[in-house]
Amino acid sequence: MTQATVATRTEAARKKGQKRLQHSGLPWILPAMILVVGLIYYSVGYTGYLSTLDWNGTSPTVKHVGAANFVQLLHDKVIRQALWHTLIFYVVTFTVQTTLGFTLAALLHSKLKLRTLHKVIIFVPTVLAPATMGPTFRLMFSADDGIINKGLRAIGLDSLAHPWLADPKTALPSIMVVTIWQWTGMTFILFFAAMSQIEPELLEAARLDGAGNLRTLWYVVWPGCRGTTIALAILGLIGALKTFDWPWLITVGGPGRATEFLGTNIYREAIREYHLGYGAAVSLVLLVLAVCGSILMTVVNRRSTK
Amino acid sequence: MKSTGFKKTMVAGIAVLGLVAVTACSGGKDGGDSSGDSGSDAVAPAGTDAEASIIWWGWTPGPPATDHYIEAFNAVYPNIKVEWKQLDIDGYNAAIAPALGTDTVDVYEMSAGSANGGAEVYGVNAFDLTADVEAALGADWKDKLSPLGVDYMTVDGRLVSLSAGAVYAGNLWINEDLFNQYGLTPPKTYDEWKSVCATFKENGVGCFVQGANQGAFNIDTYHELVEQVSPGAFDKALAKEVAWTDDVFLQAMNNWKALFDDGIMQEGAAGLMQYPEANNLFLQQKYAMVMMGTWYTMNVQPEAMITAMESAGVSNPVPFTIAPIDFPDMVGKGNTGIMFGDADYGVGVSLKSKNAAASKAFALFLGTSEEGQQAVADSLNLIPALAGITPNWDNIELVNDSQKQTVQDLFAHANEATSPRFGNINADMNDALMMALSNVATGTATPEKALAELQSQAESVG
Repeated sequence: MTQATVATRTEAARKKGQKRLQHSGLPWILPAMILVVGLIYYSVGYTGYLSTLDWNGTSPTVKHVGAANFVQLLHDKVIRQALWHTLIFYVVTFTVQTTLGFTLAALLHSKLKLRTLHKVIIFVPTVLAPATMGPTFRLMFSADDGIINKGLRAIGLDSLAHPWLADPKTALPSIMVVTIWQWTGMTFILFFAAMSQIEPELLEAARLDGAGNLRTLWYVVWPGCRGTTIALAILGLIGALKTFDWPWLITVGGPGRATEFLGTNIYREAIREYHLGYGAAVSLVLLVLAVCGSILMTVVNRRSTK
Repeated sequence: MKSTGFKKTMVAGIAVLGLVAVTACSGGKDGGDSSGDSGSDAVAPAGTDAEASIIWWGWTPGPPATDHYIEAFNAVYPNIKVEWKQLDIDGYNAAIAPALGTDTVDVYEMSAGSANGGAEVYGVNAFDLTADVEAALGADWKDKLSPLGVDYMTVDGRLVSLSAGAVYAGNLWINEDLFNQYGLTPPKTYDEWKSVCATFKENGVGCFVQGANQGAFNIDTYHELVEQVSPGAFDKALAKEVAWTDDVFLQAMNNWKALFDDGIMQEGAAGLMQYPEANNLFLQQKYAMVMMGTWYTMNVQPEAMITAMESAGVSNPVPFTIAPIDFPDMVGKGNTGIMFGDADYGVGVSLKSKNAAASKAFALFLGTSEEGQQAVADSLNLIPALAGITPNWDNIELVNDSQKQTVQDLFAHANEATSPRFGNINADMNDALMMALSNVATGTATPEKALAELQSQAESVG
């Protein structure tokens, strides 16, 4: 038996072993697979079926309308508004959260006192439930006696006091502020963890090359956090598309449709106005946008790293 | 061997999992009363002696009124325990829809038209109570009940819900104590209203509060403004007999806009909800006037007022005197005090209820019995559905004795109403009206543009 033959047999045996391992792994993942396929994909499929109906969700009379809901969706001004709000919301919240999260993470990697306390303070908003904080923010933004207007008046800036949630121009920015307040903590933690993975030698080398703090951050730390930034960008996009809780709890999508998102529109159409089929059609659009957006970002990221 | 045994175990496990899933899925279908609703399958409600426990879901009126209704019911049916579950008015649809697929709820509230819990939508999940009502009230039962309740709670020939009573809107409520404190009389004209508001503001008190981010109440206000210009025009527009772009609606829309521009509406009104915020601000006595209908009458009773004030965050509440007034005349034609109303809520019995007999007993008690309707009347929350029932003033404690006359006048006034509140407004028109009013209020659209869009919507909804 030649050495080559032995090697080939060993390789074949290894592959066989791998195959056996793959086979024997199937039963382990099968229950989860059944649940995933059964619940998630069935739900997606059923939503697809619902999107072809004109149905209020309870009536025994179900009218099949084919693609009519999607055609209506294309001409729906409110959907266009919701998509525009989503885009602005995504760009602003992602940019601000990333900037704040990155800066705070960098600061807390320095020799700052009470670092743990700072970390907790920054992260706490992430774990607070919007349902409990929604009424608080409504009170804070209140035109009459909200703490924001009171504070502005107290320091002599009466002219800046404003009915924040009643003005369509400031209602959406108010929602963005709340979202940034909540999610900056998560961005910070992820950047903090990513920065911990950067080799100290790299930073040391940058120092030896004469780079100052800002240059080191920009040329060494920031590129080192690229993967985290891309992950946050994808999560942010999906989050923006799914946005529901804050606009619903704080402004109910209003005034008018000033803070309408796809999520609030789905709820309004399917539950409040009894257009379950149309709501399902909007849900599918949301799903497609989320999947396409994530794929696009991943592809762009891969190409740019090559 | 081990591998085979393991595989068998896995297959068995998966089979069990599948069986559990199938059983769970089918359980929902067969779990409740499987008798279906034939329309004549009345489960005899009378003589329900067996012990039973039922759950009643609704958004109104809440304690203490619901406590009194249950107390009155238990005086007749001591063996049936009723549990009230209060839901948020805005979240009612989202909660009730899945609940009706299970036996979680026995008795549930429905409303007329497009409002939350609309009978048109959720009536399909309820028993037809026609035979039960006929058994309780006789063949002429329709003559004994308010037509508002019967007409709007009958869907496809099935009486899906029994109206407890009606509510009417179009009026305002004032804090009489604050008016007296500043020597003011309730405004009858728009100029008087502006003057009253100026005085309140000079004294650091808010004048009029409305949660204009909760559209249903905006529709009430606009409906009243249209009535002031041309009585009956609002119904004609809904019936498509006249276009929303007609001058009548433009004039009313300009008046709606004026309420914001002239500072009658509080700053930030377009971002405020009627419930809880505007209601809370009025009950905290931060504002002297609020746009509410006859359902607010219950607050003339100290017990209800204290409960409401506590819910509004007032510590150590001391009840104050409230009084209904006509919406001030903004047009000068003298068309004031026109009210419009619907059956506020009706109680239906879920087809999935495991206690259908007890549930029907409760629905019939509340909607058709003298005892139940008297409890409703005495709560001053609704104008009872059963003919001839009026509040028993000997049993009603008031914050101020003067309120007896004002409430009697209000109810007499309301009974003259001929126009429905939401009964003729479907969900699409409801949304279109809310959008038009909100856009004008925030300056996003001119009255002309908003009405043109409203008309376009009205044409498209068919």
